Amino acid sequence: MVDIAAEPAPRVGARRLGRVERHDSLEARNSQLAIGDPIAVRIRRFDSEAVGASYQDFQVPYQKWMRVLDALNWIAENTSSDLAFRWFCGSKMCGSCAVRMNGREVLACWEAVEPDMTIEPLRNLPVIRDLVVDRTPYERKVASFEPWIARTALYPGFPEPLTHKEMKDASKTLDCISCMSCFSACPVVGLGDLTDFAGPAPLVQLAQTGLDPRSDPGKLKRALERSGIFHCISCYKCEEVCPAGIPIVSRAIEPLKAKAAQLVPEMARHSQALRSIVAFRGRVDPGALVLRVQGFRALRNLPRILRMLVRRKINPLKTLLGIKTAAAGAASRLLDREARSP
Amino acid sequence: MKFAYYPGCSARSTCAELNEATHRVAAKLGLELLQLDSAICTGARELRAIDPVGFYTLNVRILALAEREKLPLMTICNTCTLNVLDAHAAFCEDSELAAAINLRLAEEGLRYSGATRISHFLWVLHEDIGEARLRELVVRPLAGLTVAAFYGCHITRPPLRYGFVDSRNNRALEKLAELLGCRPIDYSGRTECCGFHTAAHDERVAIKLTGQHILSAKRNGAQTMLTPCPLCHTVLDGFQREIARDIGQKLDMPVLHLPQLVGLALGLSPEQLGIDRHMVTAQAIYPGGAAAQAATSTDELSA
Repeated sequence: MVDIAAEPAPRVGARRLGRVERHDSLEARNSQLAIGDPIAVRIRRFDSEAVGASYQDFQVPYQKWMRVLDALNWIAENTSSDLAFRWFCGSKMCGSCAVRMNGREVLACWEAVEPDMTIEPLRNLPVIRDLVVDRTPYERKVASFEPWIARTALYPGFPEPLTHKEMKDASKTLDCISCMSCFSACPVVGLGDLTDFAGPAPLVQLAQTGLDPRSDPGKLKRALERSGIFHCISCYKCEEVCPAGIPIVSRAIEPLKAKAAQLVPEMARHSQALRSIVAFRGRVDPGALVLRVQGFRALRNLPRILRMLVRRKINPLKTLLGIKTAAAGAASRLLDREARSP
Repeated sequence: MKFAYYPGCSARSTCAELNEATHRVAAKLGLELLQLDSAICTGARELRAIDPVGFYTLNVRILALAEREKLPLMTICNTCTLNVLDAHAAFCEDSELAAAINLRLAEEGLRYSGATRISHFLWVLHEDIGEARLRELVVRPLAGLTVAAFYGCHITRPPLRYGFVDSRNNRALEKLAELLGCRPIDYSGRTECCGFHTAAHDERVAIKLTGQHILSAKRNGAQTMLTPCPLCHTVLDGFQREIARDIGQKLDMPVLHLPQLVGLALGLSPEQLGIDRHMVTAQAIYPGGAAAQAATSTDELSA
C-alpha cells in the first residue's frame, strides 16, 4: 500500500466560472421564480410532413418546485389538449419523457422549469408528433447487438462467482433507463450516415452484457464490428446529459474500445499506431501518425501539407528520420512493448 | 510564481507557436516555467482506451515529475488537462493502481503521493495571476475586438470533473477576453466539439462538425475565435479551407491561441506570438485592425 496524501486543496474557482451568474444548479434555478410568475414556454409542434413543424407559445403560472413535466401537463389540461408528449412513471425511472429544453436534453419529470423555455423533441430520431419520437432506429440497433448473455462453453454453475472489480464498468451501465438523451446529444449521430457510429445509447446497452465477464467474446466481436465505435469523438456530451449519471465515455465506450482492440484489432489500428509512436518517440509526431494511419491516402491532402510546411507547422525531416524526444527512453520502458520504428 | 509546465505534443509540433507564445507571455506575467522535457505524451484519447494502465502510468509520471520539483503543474491543452486530472483521480481512488504505478516509477527514482495541483493556463490566469494584476499588466487593451470563445470539450466536460450542469455556462474565456478589453460575442459553437480526436483516421467528421460553429461565430460578428486548446486550433485553423469548401461559404476566420490574445494585450507583437504561423491570416485584426487602433490610442493617451 502506498501512502496517498489527501487530494490537494481543490481550487475549482476558475474551472467553474459562470456557474453562479448562469444559475447552473438546481437550487439556483428553483429560486429564479416565485409562485404565480408567468413562465414563457415555446413548444415545437409537428403533426405531419405535409404541414411541417412550427413553434407555439404558451404562458404557464409557476408553482413551487415546478418541473418541465408539470408545465407540459398544465398546458395539456388548460390550453392545448392535443399536445403530444410521453411520460409514464414521473420519477426518473421509465425513461420515456426525455425532451430538449433550451437546447439541452432533460427528463421532463426531473428538470426544474426555467423562466423562458423552448421545448423540442429529441434529435436524431424521427418525430411522430410534437414531442414524441420514434425509438425504432435505436431499438433495431440494440437488437442487432444481441445484448444478452449466452453461454457457449461450460461454466461453474449458478450462482457464478463474480467480483466487483470484474463488474465495475458493466454495473455502471446497468443504471441506463434508455431515455435516449445521449443519443440526441451526440454530434456524431447527428451527422447521420456519414459514419456507422452506433451512438452512445446503443453502446451503453451493449456494455451491459459486453463488459460482463460472462459474455461470449464471439458475440461481442460481432457487435463491435457493427458499432463504428472508433468514430466516438470523446466530446462527453452524452455524459453531460445522462440523467442516470453514467460516465458513458469512460465506463462504457472506452472499455468497449479496449475489447475491440483485443477482439477486432484492425478496428483499433489508429490507436495502436499512436501507442507505438509514443513508445518510440516519447511524443506524438502528427506526420508520423497520419502516415501510419492513412498511408498514401495522406497525399490527397497535399495542398494542406504544403501550406503547413510553409507555416512551419510540420517537419517532414523529423517525421521521416524518426527523431526521438527526451521522453523516448521512459516511454519505451513504460509502454512495455518493443518500440517499433514508425 | 513558478510552475512545472507540460506543453504536450501538439504545442511541440503542429502548434509550436503556442509553446513559444506561452513562454513569452509567462515572462511578461512573471510566471516562471520549468518545462518538463522528459514528460511523455499523455496518450491523447487513444491510449486511455486501449491500454488504461499505460495511460495512467504516463500521466501519473508527469504529476510525479512536478511533485519532485514541488511545483504545481500548468498545462495548455484541454485533452492533456483532462488526462492528468483523470489519472490523478484514479490514482487517489484506487490504491492498488497507485501502488503498481509507483512501483514502475520507482525504477527511475520517481514517486507520486497525490500532491500536485493541476491547472490549465486559463485557470492560472484567473486564479494565480488574478484579475487585478492582469489589468495592471495590460498595456494595449484590445478595445472592441470581438472574440468568439471556443472552449472545446475537455476543459468544460465531463460534469464529473468540472461540475457544470450545462457546460455552456462556462464563462472563463469570456471573462478573460473582457479583462483584456475585448468584446466577447455569443454564438452557437462555444462549447461544441471540433472533432479532432477522430481526424487522423477520418477527418470528414471534424470538417462537418465545425463549419456551422465558425459560420455562427462570423454571423454574430466575431473578428477572431479564441481557443485554449491546440487540438481545437488544428481543426479550426488548419482545416478551415476544407471546412469552408464543405459548407460552401467564405469563412476567413482567424483563430487565436489563448496566450496569443493575452500577449497582444500585454504588448507583444503578432510575430513574437507566432500569429503569422497560422493557416488563416489574422492580419485583419492587426495592423490597422482593432488591436492596432487600440495601440495607437493608448500611445496617444500616454504621450
